[in-house]
Amino acid sequence: MDEPDLRLRALTYGLVVELGQAPTADEVAEAGGLSRDEVLSGWRRLHEQHALVLDPATDEIRMANPFSAVPTSYRVRADGRWWYANCAWDAFGICAALHTDGRIETACPDCGDALEIDVRGQRPDDESLLFHCLVPAARWWDDIVFT
Amino acid sequence: MNLFRSEEHIERWLAGRAPGATISVTTLSELAHAWWSDRLPPEWEPRTRELNQAVLHRLGLTGAFWRLA
Repeated sequence: MDEPDLRLRALTYGLVVELGQAPTADEVAEAGGLSRDEVLSGWRRLHEQHALVLDPATDEIRMANPFSAVPTSYRVRADGRWWYANCAWDAFGICAALHTDGRIETACPDCGDALEIDVRGQRPDDESLLFHCLVPAARWWDDIVFT
Repeated sequence: MNLFRSEEHIERWLAGRAPGATISVTTLSELAHAWWSDRLPPEWEPRTRELNQAVLHRLGLTGAFWRLA
């Protein structure tokens, strides 16, 4: 990953936190004094290196891990805002990335019961819950949206 | 990568599919903090596969299932 792409990534993630959602290519271009094409080509390189995930239909951001650019079943209250996470791992990851406590709201995929977890000092308040990862680590990036 | 109420709920959700790996939510939180806490500073640089594997290893996430590509 070369220096311009690292700067583009830093700018993109900075805007995620500033805006409370993933920025569009136009927003990043304006903030960075870049052309839209420069942003899109840089994002494609970052996507190939798993530094973010693009929506193939729009070329816009789908995931700026641990943040999701689209609504998911993992909502996180942290740093005074609601965020969407890509999965349970990323839900805790949002608290970790923002270095703050938070609240995770989701539902058990089996029974549909609401699961609400407060994260305080990096620990969940309900320690009885379990995390299941279906896909082996070597295949996580075969289809990261499914993973 | 989901949270469940119990092993029973995981088994029912799998509906005959081969299971992956199950860990406690406490370990998940430790993993998430070890994995993601460095992502926002502008000076972030990608970690090597070996460093990522070491994060998993420190939490006892070893064996073929947790071996990164």
